[in-house]
Amino acid sequence: MGKLTQRMSTFLLPTSMRLAWLNLLRNGRRSLLSVLIIAIAVFALTSAGGYGLYTYESLRESTARDTGHLTLSTPGYFEQDEDMPLSNGLDNVQALTKSIIGDSDVRGVQPRVYFSGLVSNGSKSTIFMGTGVNEREFDMKGPFLDVRSGQTLSDVKSPRYDSQEPQVMLGTDLARNLKVAVGDWVTLLATTSDGALNAFDFKVQGIYSTGVPELDKRQLYVHITTAQELLASGKVSTLSVFLFETSKTSTVQQRIQIALERNSASQSDQGTEIEITPWQDRAFFYTKVKDLYDRIFGIMGAVMALVVFVSLFNTMTMSVTERTREIGTLSALGSYPSEIVAGFLKEAGLLAVIGSAIGALVSGLVSLLLLVVDIQMPPPPGRTEGYPLNIYFSLELVGYATLGVLTICLLAAYFSARKGVNKPITEALVYV
Amino acid sequence: MIEFKGICKAYVTGGQRVDALNGVDGHIQRGEMVALCGPSGSGKSTLLNILGLLDMDYRGQINIDGQPYPTEQIAAARFRRQSLGFVFQRFNLVPVMTALENVAYPLMLNQCSKQEQQTRAQDMLERVGLGDYVHHRPDNLSGGQQQRVAIARALIHNPSLVIADEPTASLDSHTANLVIDIMKELGHEMGTTFIVATHDPRMAQRCDRVIELIDGKLAPQAATTEAISWAS
Repeated sequence: MGKLTQRMSTFLLPTSMRLAWLNLLRNGRRSLLSVLIIAIAVFALTSAGGYGLYTYESLRESTARDTGHLTLSTPGYFEQDEDMPLSNGLDNVQALTKSIIGDSDVRGVQPRVYFSGLVSNGSKSTIFMGTGVNEREFDMKGPFLDVRSGQTLSDVKSPRYDSQEPQVMLGTDLARNLKVAVGDWVTLLATTSDGALNAFDFKVQGIYSTGVPELDKRQLYVHITTAQELLASGKVSTLSVFLFETSKTSTVQQRIQIALERNSASQSDQGTEIEITPWQDRAFFYTKVKDLYDRIFGIMGAVMALVVFVSLFNTMTMSVTERTREIGTLSALGSYPSEIVAGFLKEAGLLAVIGSAIGALVSGLVSLLLLVVDIQMPPPPGRTEGYPLNIYFSLELVGYATLGVLTICLLAAYFSARKGVNKPITEALVYV
Repeated sequence: MIEFKGICKAYVTGGQRVDALNGVDGHIQRGEMVALCGPSGSGKSTLLNILGLLDMDYRGQINIDGQPYPTEQIAAARFRRQSLGFVFQRFNLVPVMTALENVAYPLMLNQCSKQEQQTRAQDMLERVGLGDYVHHRPDNLSGGQQQRVAIARALIHNPSLVIADEPTASLDSHTANLVIDIMKELGHEMGTTFIVATHDPRMAQRCDRVIELIDGKLAPQAATTEAISWAS
């Protein structure tokens, strides 16, 4: 911060910015402190925001991969219970799937059958919540399904699949309650679509965890065909549409809506009405976490803003007070108050930009470091699994933080400088 | 020519009204260098501030070249940047600016091109004998050099009037004489009117005319003449 920086500033900056820079160097320690405070604020905001973004994205992906980005069902399917299993299910699934799968943004369309009943190991029974899926469902879920032992359901068309041994995947706690392991047999008892009772034996193919204890206690997966046989129906509960990019959800939703309406109009048989539900409408956990984090980060941002404002206001007020006679001189020479204030705004702007750049740089470095160093976060409320601490480095977030800090610094400088320029020139000139 | 009539200015200090100026009249010809003398509290700084449009809270009328002085703040600032120059007792240079930038500042305010600012400021610094100090900052200049930079700054934009408040008070006698010489020479050369508030008899002696203030009023002509003879 000596002669070298002064010389460099002569060549690199326009005159007004160079003078602002030199004015900052007049009290280097104070300016450095202000820069540090701004840097810490920007680092805190971008890191906390980056952590929030990482959490949002993880939850978004987890939810979208669990429910599917879009869910096709009969209208009101999620609002009211079915009188009988699959009584509100979808018919003609093949045609529906065919009309959707052609969309280039659609990764897959998976039918599901939701059902419930009793699961028994022969000596002990408990309630289950079952989902009939086909084996490709697990490809769609990717890393969001934690298979603890065994494997996911096999392809029913595979020669290795034995139709005499229908497969089931159990949640960890359900398996523990029933004292069963991979290779053991359980019996599922459910009500068919016409109200009769039906039971099938299933071989445990895998044990998995969803990360949510309540689900792990009750949930199980079976092949969709087996589920339909158990429920004695050819219908499915829903069709889950998985996309390549979550951000395209609403666009694809509109396209599918149009395609469905066109199909419906072209067919003489109007068929069943279909409702499309985007993942957000089913993402209760995501919405609640996002609301909570948004508030926490909002309060944190407000506190940071206040700290930066007070710090900058103090710095600029001291600077203005020390330079009262100089302000008087510039006014006497004919500078307009706005021109003098602009000088101080430039100084505050420089502090904000330099501080923000340093804060963003540190945030970026920490973000990179966390990719290398594995730090585990404790499980969130209602979950059993922790997750790695990651911070997304978002240029957009850096931009917003910088803009916010810049605005605060400019405001602080404006209020300080205005006080200085409002002092009568004759008083300012004799100020000691 | 500058004419001022019935200039009155009152302060209220400690609940007491003090008449700093009480109906001061006068006129100063273009190119004239006038010393404003008087004891402390006589009102010379107050008159100087009023004539320099630094204090606009006064009664009375001031005309410069037949035009009334502006009465609104922004217009006053514009008038100061275009038509007035200032030399202060403590030089009041901007510390982060070089001598050249300090001198060029009024040109910058008057929207002159960068090239013109450089050329004219360089020329003006050479005229005050500081051609070799253009890139020096004020803290690297002596008091006399700083005051010469201040004079160059006051004159660079060819103002009608330069207000100088005790310009030699902070200088030793040799430097003070040098500064007075420069002010007088450049003032006459450029046809600039100078009003100099001073306690320095050498300064008053070198001025074309002395106006003396006593208790906020102009001293009678005899007293003024006496002041000149005292100064000489």
